[in-house]
Amino acid sequence: MTETTQYRVLDFDCPTCASNVERALEKTEGVESVEVHFTTGRIEVEHDEDADTDELKGAIENQGYTPEAIRG
Amino acid sequence: MTNARRWLRSHGKVLATAVSGTLFAVGWSLGYVGYGVVGDVALLVAALVGGYGVAKKAYHTLRTGTVGINTLVTLAAVGAIAIGEYWEAAGVVFLFSLGGYLEGRTMRRTRAALQELLEKSPDTAVVRRDGEEVEVPAHEVEEGEVVVVRPGDSVPVDGVVTRGESAVDQSSVTGESAPVRKTEKDEVYAGTVNQEGALDVRATGTGSDTTLQRIIRRVEEAQEAKSPTETLVEKFAKYYTPAVVLLAVGTYAVTRNAMVSLTLLVIGCPGALVIGPPVSIVSAVGNAARNGVLMKGGEHLERAGKIGVVAFDKTGTLTKGETTVSEVRGFGVDDDDALRYAAVAERRSEHHLADAVLDEFRSRSDGYATDGGVEASVRPLPEPETFEVEAGKGVAAKYDRERIVVGNSVLLDEEGIEASEEVTEYAEGREKGGETAVYVAVDGTVVGVISLRDEVRDAAAEVVSDLNAAGVRTVMLTGDNERTARAVAEEVGIDDYRAELLPEEKQDAIEEMRNEGEVVAMVGDGINDAPSLAAADVGIAMGAAGTDTAIEVADMALMADDLRRIPYAVGLSKVTRLNIGENVAIAVATVLVLLAGVFTGYVTMATGMFAHIVSVLVVIVNGMRLTWYR
Repeated sequence: MTETTQYRVLDFDCPTCASNVERALEKTEGVESVEVHFTTGRIEVEHDEDADTDELKGAIENQGYTPEAIRG
Repeated sequence: MTNARRWLRSHGKVLATAVSGTLFAVGWSLGYVGYGVVGDVALLVAALVGGYGVAKKAYHTLRTGTVGINTLVTLAAVGAIAIGEYWEAAGVVFLFSLGGYLEGRTMRRTRAALQELLEKSPDTAVVRRDGEEVEVPAHEVEEGEVVVVRPGDSVPVDGVVTRGESAVDQSSVTGESAPVRKTEKDEVYAGTVNQEGALDVRATGTGSDTTLQRIIRRVEEAQEAKSPTETLVEKFAKYYTPAVVLLAVGTYAVTRNAMVSLTLLVIGCPGALVIGPPVSIVSAVGNAARNGVLMKGGEHLERAGKIGVVAFDKTGTLTKGETTVSEVRGFGVDDDDALRYAAVAERRSEHHLADAVLDEFRSRSDGYATDGGVEASVRPLPEPETFEVEAGKGVAAKYDRERIVVGNSVLLDEEGIEASEEVTEYAEGREKGGETAVYVAVDGTVVGVISLRDEVRDAAAEVVSDLNAAGVRTVMLTGDNERTARAVAEEVGIDDYRAELLPEEKQDAIEEMRNEGEVVAMVGDGINDAPSLAAADVGIAMGAAGTDTAIEVADMALMADDLRRIPYAVGLSKVTRLNIGENVAIAVATVLVLLAGVFTGYVTMATGMFAHIVSVLVVIVNGMRLTWYR
């Protein structure tokens, strides 16, 4: 089963930094697809249901940004 | 402990930048007054403090197999330290983190604008359940339940008013600044504010299924969709960075000048170039949404910036779309009998002209309730035995062995019915006055003419002249007859009108103008006009707040029924297109000047970084100007 988790990063400072986050998430275990939108700061991750969301958050934080979870 | 960590995480960037900046200033001053060695130590520490975050990012980016700006800046700083240029290293690192912080902050403001819209919708709702009023989370309200909205409260759901009367501020949804009167059977939207009286609202959409939520989703999608310029610039950037790195290596190989090649690394990020177009689009889309105009995306916005022709549908767009019968004239029969024939034939029709005829019939018949009332009549309107619709022409029905034809002159011709000179003269007179004449014929003889009037919108003439003044041509397309079309076109000031068009001919007319090389926008209601909207370069749907399909289909959707938004939207698109061009020009000019400066020795690492950051901020602020466009 795949699940979708969404985050919002309000402090992206450049478009290439956003694509770095995208690549970092793609390399995280259990992740199937990632969309990172620089303009709105929205991140959509499709992943296995047993993927560790803390690891997803960590991948974003490692790139130097603060993710906030989006409900719904 | 956890609190301290959280604080450090959210403020770490500012802190590192501030410390690095202070040390940079201290080291610089010490160098001036002769404490060179101590100064160098301060500069070195400044570089390390400011550079830690950058290097960490660079490391994580490298692990994903890419070379980004963080990598370049780290390389440049390390290189500068290696050749003893501590001032340059500290300067580059400090300015880079300062720039990143400022960029993040300004972008945060742009991003947060959308969230404000979200917060307009209340979290809880008061629902009447089993005669009692209970407060529940807004998304848990079931469809069909009755929600009580007190004066001063925000409406928590989409719904229909079942009791009460009030003025509602709908600006969050439609962008209209003036409150709108709402009474029984009127639709209200989640996120709007009830100003006066209490309203009972039967929920039709709750949670994520509200107009406001759809608007927000749509706006977000629009902001995320890449514009053609953005795509182009990103493609360019993909090759630009590696090219600059190669140039830096090549320069070092030839000149052995480490400073020049390290400086090249610093300016090797096309920051201003890639950040410009998206910031312009986000600001423009956000501005439009706050003014009740939904744009589908950057691509549409850029295209709309080139609009040369705006084609208007007549009925419901230039006119109010509230057709009423202005006169009924019987020929050989009583006026009321002519109307009754028409009403019988139109009874099953869903056309808006039929509604007007039926309304008129009901209001004239005693005991017959007007629009929306219970049909308790002393003289009920009989059901026709057969009924056919001739699209765009009228209807034909059979009742009591009589064949009734109600329609325009085309239908009369097709039916082989000839109208007398008296009838034709009368009908033409009404049409020249901007009315629509509908013939009523029974068994091959015209027995009456019903004149229908649809008032032109107050703003129509002003909108047309505003567009013309902005260098945009205006055209009116209508299925109505030539004379009525001319009268309306003259009233609103449109020279170019095309009348008696079938729906597919409207598409052809648009296609034709496009083939002439014009970028054509079509304004219509989004439902009947959907095909013509799709045929145009930019389809603009009016009054989209109540119709989901219009929001989905149109390139631009005007939430309110307000024509004045069209010159605004066209103007905003043009300014946005210009703004994107300015930003690209600023970015390219900066890069060219910097490159020239590096090779002539005027620009070193820290000054290069400074110019780079200034250009990025200038571009962001320039893009954000669109937020305040009016």
